[in-house]
Amino acid sequence: MDRNQITKWLKAPAKMANKYSLHAVYFCTGCGIIEVPPVITSRWDAERFGVVPVATPRQANLFLITGYVSVKTLRAIIRTYEQMPEPKYTVGFGSCPVNGGMYWDSYNTIKHLDKYIPIDGWIAGCMPRPEAIFIAVTHLWTLIDKDMANAYIRYRKNYKSYRRNQELALGKLEWPPLFPVGDESQGNEQ
Amino acid sequence: MINSLRQKLEATFKDIRIAIPEESRIVVTAENDGVPAILRYLKDLGLDHLALISAVDWIEENCLELCFILTSYMQNDDEVTGRQKLHIILKTSIPREKPKFKTVIGIFPNAEPYEREIHELFGIKFEGHPRLTPLLLEREYQIPPFRKDFDTRKYVKEVFDKIPSVEIEEK
Amino acid sequence: MRIVEIIVSPLLALVVGIFFLGLARKIMARIHWRYGPPLVQPLIDMIRLFYQKGVSHGRMFDLGIILSLAGSIVVVLFLPFGQMCPLSSSGGLLVILYMMLLAPLGLALSGGQGGNPNISIGISRKLILSLGYEAPLLLVLLAVMTRYKTISIVEVVNAQQSTSWSIISFPLFLSGLSYFLILPAILGIRPFDVSSAPQEISSGPMAEYGGKYLALAKIEHAFVLFISIALFVNLFLGGAANIVSFFMKMLAVFVLGLCVNAVFPRFRTEQAVKYLWKWPTLLAFVGLIITIAIRS
Repeated sequence: MDRNQITKWLKAPAKMANKYSLHAVYFCTGCGIIEVPPVITSRWDAERFGVVPVATPRQANLFLITGYVSVKTLRAIIRTYEQMPEPKYTVGFGSCPVNGGMYWDSYNTIKHLDKYIPIDGWIAGCMPRPEAIFIAVTHLWTLIDKDMANAYIRYRKNYKSYRRNQELALGKLEWPPLFPVGDESQGNEQ
Repeated sequence: MINSLRQKLEATFKDIRIAIPEESRIVVTAENDGVPAILRYLKDLGLDHLALISAVDWIEENCLELCFILTSYMQNDDEVTGRQKLHIILKTSIPREKPKFKTVIGIFPNAEPYEREIHELFGIKFEGHPRLTPLLLEREYQIPPFRKDFDTRKYVKEVFDKIPSVEIEEK
Repeated sequence: MRIVEIIVSPLLALVVGIFFLGLARKIMARIHWRYGPPLVQPLIDMIRLFYQKGVSHGRMFDLGIILSLAGSIVVVLFLPFGQMCPLSSSGGLLVILYMMLLAPLGLALSGGQGGNPNISIGISRKLILSLGYEAPLLLVLLAVMTRYKTISIVEVVNAQQSTSWSIISFPLFLSGLSYFLILPAILGIRPFDVSSAPQEISSGPMAEYGGKYLALAKIEHAFVLFISIALFVNLFLGGAANIVSFFMKMLAVFVLGLCVNAVFPRFRTEQAVKYLWKWPTLLAFVGLIITIAIRS
């Protein structure tokens, strides 16, 4: 066995565990959250996929952004996303995070969520059916298998651009940078 | 009931105009200074629920119109409201340049969030309000967003579309 | 021989505890008319949690959860499991009653340093609830100790094997009934799961646990589940001569508790304490009086 195969064999339990136990933060934003309670209860059972809602971002693995994102909501989303432990996966649900959706010309919503938070995959629809959520979960499994679901690594590598975009949209951010930005003009934010 | 209310109002106050567009709805138009007195009178009469304060932007006539919507609960058994639910809209016009109005918190204390919202969306300043900070919006706008001369597509093109995408570093 | 038992006994308790956690999710799903996750789902969750990089809030935050886990493992060593009981000759019931309080204490210590007010609310609820069930529990244990004139659980089990189960014997059936009524409170299942209420206080004491801390907390839950049910089976259902029948008895009690869990909503804290101090305490008290009266 060469080194590659041994590494693959050692990483297999991590991939299996990350796939089959996706705990989603129960962050209810926008109108898309009306599609989530039918999914996690008896009719379209999401627990057989391992997907379970949890109450805090510290225990979670998956972030489902369901619906339009106003400027105030973006502040909460960034704080929640930065509290989650790595590895973490984000899915944009509905057409509003993709390109603004129905609110494409509104003065108070942000149009492309990908500029502020890294996203692994999108689910199109307004609102998508519960079966679409299951197809998205199985797609996410395939991406995790192929090592392509690395949104959190992108966030770490390009944090400077993400932080600059967040400051352009929100004004002053009251939390310090999560990864070192290397900018002396930041000052000491506490 | 509506007609007795109409007669009472016309007897008590001068220079108001009353219209009844449909059944059990009555619209009263008044001047700026007379509004607190009318509100107090209506509150003593039994219409003590301030449901909404709203504003309309009449850009052709160059004025902003404030609307106070008062209702009565059905349990009020006065000889005016009787056993039915009454609904009054009180309108008043203010000029569009530097609009300001006196707050009605002294009469209806629950007017505080409505006046905050109207201040941030229309730009009307309420004198005497304890806390006129933004309620729903986060950014600063040159023209308040609900006015008819605020071009929302231009705003989106200038602000949100100019934010660049994230440059992905190649490995 | 004893060293082997000391090592094997907590491992066996861990396996049984994790199996019970998986069985709980499956049975509750079937009661709700849906399929549930596979039976090994808690194991997959724990493996995933061990691979995540949780956030630590300080030295006490790390040490508190280890203290609570250590307390639970030590209690397992004092309980007979079939024929196996490593530390049977030192203390018995009194030591168990004392050491069972280390688990919430450890959580409280670590929660003091996590900066979330939800943790403090959860810990205070947990301690108030344990105040609620400690009173009838103490009366029940006193009745058992008086009846069999011993504080060693192994002797209680042997006495029951020769005569009959405590829960159907004359003066102790009241105490057994009272213990059965407070068993959901000790296990922390609905209607008594006020301390870790996800919807109200975002998981209470576990609100800031992520990654390996949460995995350790789940392992500690598995141990507490095992301890509470094993104590009931040993004291009132006769213990067992071998491991398999002990396990069957634990399974029966656990499935009954799960049926209660699947159906009930959650009490408020004062409603829970009011319930625990009314009928169960009364039954336990009357049982203790009768046991003392017919002692000779």
